[in-house]
Amino acid sequence: MTTSAILQAINGTSLAALLFLLASGFTLTFGLMRVVNMAHGAYYLLGGYIGLSLAERTGSFAVAIVGGGASIVVLGYLIDRFLIRHTGDNHLAQVLLTVGVAFIIGDVALAIWGGDALKVPVPPFLRGAMELPGGLVYPTYRFVLILFGVFVGAVLWVLYRKTQIGAVVRAGVDDREQVSATGIDVDRLFVLVSAVASFLAGMAGVVGGAFLALYPGAEWEILVVALVVVIVGGLGSLEGAMVGALIVGLLDAYGRWLLPEFSYFVLFGPMAVLLLVRPRGIFGRES
Amino acid sequence: MPKAARILLALVVLAAAVLLPRVAGPFWLGLVTQMYVFGLLALSVDLLLGHAGLFSLCHASFFAVSAYTTAILQVRHAVPTALAAPAGILAGTILGLVFGLAVRTRGVYFILITIAFGYVVWGVAHRWSSFTGGDNGVTNVPFPALGTLRVESPTEYYYLVLAVLVLCTIGYRVLVASPFGLTLRGIKASETRMRSLGYHSDLHLYVAFVVSAALASLAGVLYVYYNRFVNPVAASFPISVEVALMAIVGGTGTIVGPFIGSGIILGLRNWVSSFFELYASVMGLVFIVVVLWAPDGVVGLVVRLWVRAVKAGTR
Repeated sequence: MTTSAILQAINGTSLAALLFLLASGFTLTFGLMRVVNMAHGAYYLLGGYIGLSLAERTGSFAVAIVGGGASIVVLGYLIDRFLIRHTGDNHLAQVLLTVGVAFIIGDVALAIWGGDALKVPVPPFLRGAMELPGGLVYPTYRFVLILFGVFVGAVLWVLYRKTQIGAVVRAGVDDREQVSATGIDVDRLFVLVSAVASFLAGMAGVVGGAFLALYPGAEWEILVVALVVVIVGGLGSLEGAMVGALIVGLLDAYGRWLLPEFSYFVLFGPMAVLLLVRPRGIFGRES
Repeated sequence: MPKAARILLALVVLAAAVLLPRVAGPFWLGLVTQMYVFGLLALSVDLLLGHAGLFSLCHASFFAVSAYTTAILQVRHAVPTALAAPAGILAGTILGLVFGLAVRTRGVYFILITIAFGYVVWGVAHRWSSFTGGDNGVTNVPFPALGTLRVESPTEYYYLVLAVLVLCTIGYRVLVASPFGLTLRGIKASETRMRSLGYHSDLHLYVAFVVSAALASLAGVLYVYYNRFVNPVAASFPISVEVALMAIVGGTGTIVGPFIGSGIILGLRNWVSSFFELYASVMGLVFIVVVLWAPDGVVGLVVRLWVRAVKAGTR
């Protein structure tokens, strides 16, 4: 019983690492650009599929990760530049537009990669299981994923909180006009943050596709869970995405274990509590 | 349009709807019945979107919960329609009372939270297979019957749906023209102003949300007796978002708009999927086109093109 409980905690943490990759990009693009991009899930799925094809051709997981991420950076830029930009500050329009984009991406992916669940091949040194302190045996890949998530989180946090460019982005989140008035090219900043978000989403697809599998519909399932992360953590907050990912990842793992038929229902809990107590999320601010 | 002309137009449309089964074959009759059902669902979404300014993406939930409740009672427990249908509406409305919590937020938060809420319902329908039948859903739903009065053909069911529809649109008209409806419009236009005038905006929006959920639940009951089965697709996100698109395509804040939008989207779906496999892509394209070029819906687009043509003509 306690062993299972501990294993579920590790499961939840590794899911949290994956969710953080997706949610951090979503939350930062919203924070800076006030853009809600519902195609984030489709970016995840397409990045995963592209990574899968790359991994099969080249046999390299690293190429898959970089290639999956980079191709989404290009796609994301085009979608930002030619579609989302025309919606201005209208969130309703953004949601509908990006849902449309996600439908198209999902449909095209279905035509290319088919309807079966596919998994990105994991490199040999990450396959199998490892022994953790205390005699627990756990899949190596998922454990390394936790370390990877922590690493990406740390890099993002340092960039965001401790560097000049991060300070500019934070200033942009607080007051776009003011930043632009000081002579900083906000548009270039948007492109940069959006590229980081796209890369994270595409990369998450490859990393997640190695243990959750890729299939039509996976884009919405992962997106909604990432949305719950963002809602719980607070829209626009990097720290919120971290805390939210942990809460949601753990809840999901324990939910699947204890109440398999109601595992989705478990996600409803934190949102309802939050709505009653703190409608804008843990780190959310009144706007 | 003057009031008399409006009433005349409404009567002409109603007469056409009544006479339709005489000229339309089973395919078209089915399509129009669907258009009514989804138009009603789109109307329920538009009560929030067009009148209160809230964009809900969880209306498939109320629709599906009510359809499931009715179907399960009728099929597994042989409960008569007179009880199963109201029970369905009640179940959907109770869910509306819970999800109505979402009105504590506005804007993007409201949109995202309703998406997540809707997903929870889909997940339960999909996973809790011992009760919901999983992906197969609940099948063999009979036609509705009230005592000895039985619906026995699609044509008779068409008339039943039409009757419910007429009652609903009249009720809807009264509601949006009432002080309550006007207050909602006031909140949409400027919430801070309505608050400073002493209106409790959260409470008004909550009531609107629950009424809207009840209307969506009614559409769910009509849907399950038309479709004769229900599966998790009814609760899925694409339904919620397509229904919102219907309201927008037709024109928000109107009564005919959602029905026109429902006709356009369902017609397009039937037409496209008859010769083209990538149906979802076409729908995606419709989303993009509507947002970029016809944000005020078909009615708005026609008006805009008309104005432009008139300007060009006078130049």
